[in-house]
Amino acid sequence: MGFYVLSYICVAVFILATGYRVYRQITLPVHVRWEIYPVQHETGAKVAYGGSYLEELNWWEKKYESSLFNELKYMAPEIFFLRGLWKENRSLWRVSFPFHFGLYLMIATFGLLLLHACFILWRFPAFAAGSTIRTLLDGLIIFTGWIGLILGNIGSLGVLYKRRIDPELRDYSSFADYFNVGFIFLFFLSALVACLLGDPVLEGAKAYVLGLLTGGHSLNPYVPGQSVPGKVAIVSASLLTAYIPLTHMSHMYMKYFLYHDVKWDDAPNRRGGSIEAAILKNLELKPTWKAKHVEADGRKTWGDIASSAPKEMK
Amino acid sequence: MSKSLKPSDLAKPSDCLCHIEPGDLSPLPPPYEDFNQATIPPLKPEKVNNIETSLDDTVAIGIPKPASKEEEEALVRQFLSGLKKLFEKENNWTFLQPLLLSMEHCAKCQTCANACPVYEMSGKKDIHRPMFRAEVLRRIYNKYLKPGGKITAKLTGDIDLNWTTIARLAELSYRCTLCRRCATVCPIGVDNGLINHEIRKLFSQEMGVAPKELHDKGSTQQLRVGSSTGMNPLAVKDSIDFIQEEMEEITGYKVDIPWDVEGADILLLHNAGEILSWPENVGAFAIIFQAAGLSWTLSSETTGYDAVNYGVWYDDIQFARVAVRHTDIARRLKVKKIVMGECGHAHKALTVTADRLLTGELNIPRESAMVTLEDIVLSGKLQFAPIRNNFPVTLHDPCNMVRSMGIVEPQRRILRKIAPRFREMTPHSVENYCCGGGSGFAIMSGYNFAEWRNLVSSRKKFLQILTAFQDEPQEIPKYVCAPCSNCKGAIRDMIDYYHAEERSHLYYGGLVELIVNAMANMKKPIIRFGEEPSWES
Repeated sequence: MGFYVLSYICVAVFILATGYRVYRQITLPVHVRWEIYPVQHETGAKVAYGGSYLEELNWWEKKYESSLFNELKYMAPEIFFLRGLWKENRSLWRVSFPFHFGLYLMIATFGLLLLHACFILWRFPAFAAGSTIRTLLDGLIIFTGWIGLILGNIGSLGVLYKRRIDPELRDYSSFADYFNVGFIFLFFLSALVACLLGDPVLEGAKAYVLGLLTGGHSLNPYVPGQSVPGKVAIVSASLLTAYIPLTHMSHMYMKYFLYHDVKWDDAPNRRGGSIEAAILKNLELKPTWKAKHVEADGRKTWGDIASSAPKEMK
Repeated sequence: MSKSLKPSDLAKPSDCLCHIEPGDLSPLPPPYEDFNQATIPPLKPEKVNNIETSLDDTVAIGIPKPASKEEEEALVRQFLSGLKKLFEKENNWTFLQPLLLSMEHCAKCQTCANACPVYEMSGKKDIHRPMFRAEVLRRIYNKYLKPGGKITAKLTGDIDLNWTTIARLAELSYRCTLCRRCATVCPIGVDNGLINHEIRKLFSQEMGVAPKELHDKGSTQQLRVGSSTGMNPLAVKDSIDFIQEEMEEITGYKVDIPWDVEGADILLLHNAGEILSWPENVGAFAIIFQAAGLSWTLSSETTGYDAVNYGVWYDDIQFARVAVRHTDIARRLKVKKIVMGECGHAHKALTVTADRLLTGELNIPRESAMVTLEDIVLSGKLQFAPIRNNFPVTLHDPCNMVRSMGIVEPQRRILRKIAPRFREMTPHSVENYCCGGGSGFAIMSGYNFAEWRNLVSSRKKFLQILTAFQDEPQEIPKYVCAPCSNCKGAIRDMIDYYHAEERSHLYYGGLVELIVNAMANMKKPIIRFGEEPSWES
């Protein structure tokens, strides 16, 4: 039961920490535009060469449009295959891709394990033992699990090695950078060893995830954590789940905000629109910068200061 | 090969943290090999006696050395106070979200370093890595402003905070041109250029530290006198009168430049530097607009005749004041739109960055001159004889106009129509390299900073230009089209510095000059290569 308690706590930390990160982002004030081109949701031919709607004569008379298809066309290879790193830093991609793809496959495996557990709990008729769906799902779990573990082990070892031997990376790496990758490697290694030593079809993982959904009362008689590597895998996976959102590794999903709220945030401010309303709110804020020319006294708002000439200029 | 430097080294006192030795800089091809062993001329001791010079071979700001230990400590406290404010919405709503995201998610993969022309051309000096200064700020923030930071710093990256750290960080923030090429290649989306921008803001807005060319003689003078050039409204009107006369003499075309026309369709905003340094640019705009029958005007009101907004590089307060002033003048003139002349940073400042600052009647439509000109040139309103531009032309992409605004094709469509020997640089468009004069560098020349700019930050652009024309005979005049005043300034200086007019017959100018040069009804050419006209009348 202790394993389950640990996992529940870690999942709760993940949800809270991620929730906090996301909440903080969506409640931050609207910032000035700082997009950078190419903006991948641009429409038509512009996306290919990095153009924008600002290339149009009297652009403000036209409707602001963006293309979800163009965005997805760019983001899918970026997320799954690290397209940017492939293009700009090939030697790092060689270790970073298996590392990240291994993690993705672990997440996918966990999703499949959850689905497997749900089918069992719901007593889904088409999921009876020996059925096509069950055979297919079992096969998928084995496939994603094994490929993910192999890639993850190669990738995390590769990332550790590269960080250690490449002076460009080594000179800027702290203990925490090694610890983070080492921690992930510990999970990959222990899970791989657990599978190799006696659980090649991931029965233990299935049972553990089923147990997670039943408060430890698994319908399956398999007892989790039978082997030391299995125990280490469960503990490290749980702790990683809690740890990732507390570190810069949250870039896995916070990248959404880096791209959508900054790099590609090209939405124009229209009179009477929601952006204008947010700006008006910002202009009521009272800065306290100390340099003389700012002339902030804690009472003047941004709006007051922006529309005034400071004394040194009069 | 110089020894590698880590972010924590910034805090360790020494006379010069990073020195360029002969042969360190990236090599130039013939006939410029004589610059391959060049170094930055030493600073004159009598000129830098009382200022901080311990970062490298040059000085951009010239921060006075503190007189006592107490003063040093007070400045450190002031720095920390400013750093805290960068993370408060009351003080930094303008960039809070981008800053937080970039501060918290860097994976230190160094992909950005390969994209940085300053890092590459400097001989890969560590201090010029885009993430170097960002990492310094990140470590200071984590250690000194986060709870438990002094303990976690041992695990996440340590740095000492003292006057040396601060003085060097201030100087270092003026070794990056804010071209943001690094940000385009970051797989995560981290923007080290932005963090550099925020460092500059901290120093300016909290400590009053900024290069005098940007602040005292820049935005302050612009708000007080009317222009960063020092021209007041009377002087600017005189200069424009002179340009009108000159244009008729040069091209044989009589032009009337309108002032303060209420209700005109367009308020044209020039970088006032054009009026002084490249008057033919201002004249060419007038010829085109007049010939196309546009309803337009210039403003003679203080600040209204100078599009520059240096605040966009170092100070949000100054940026906001100038942007509000520009649009308020347009509002009172009741124009339909503001058209930005050939000035890249002014484009970005007023069109994009200020878009989330201007509300109500101040939110007047702004358009790039590239777009207005494209409409004129491609619409058939004017007749052209492109053969008049029968010389090799390449196009420089101003970072602020292209990478930061996505205005890429209008200027190219114009050139394809009027310049038969136009060719691209490699790489170009949104992947372009900065001219080396970005973020204020083009106008900064105190101490020996201009030498550093020409040798280091402009070097990549110079190489690109040479490569673009490498298949042309040496004796043929070649034209670098740079539709941005600051870029033109940097290109002018690099041509002078490397003697490229004599050695490669390199010339430079704006886009409008090329347009006017190809206009069929011009009696004489506006473009000359030295003493030689670009075509015979």
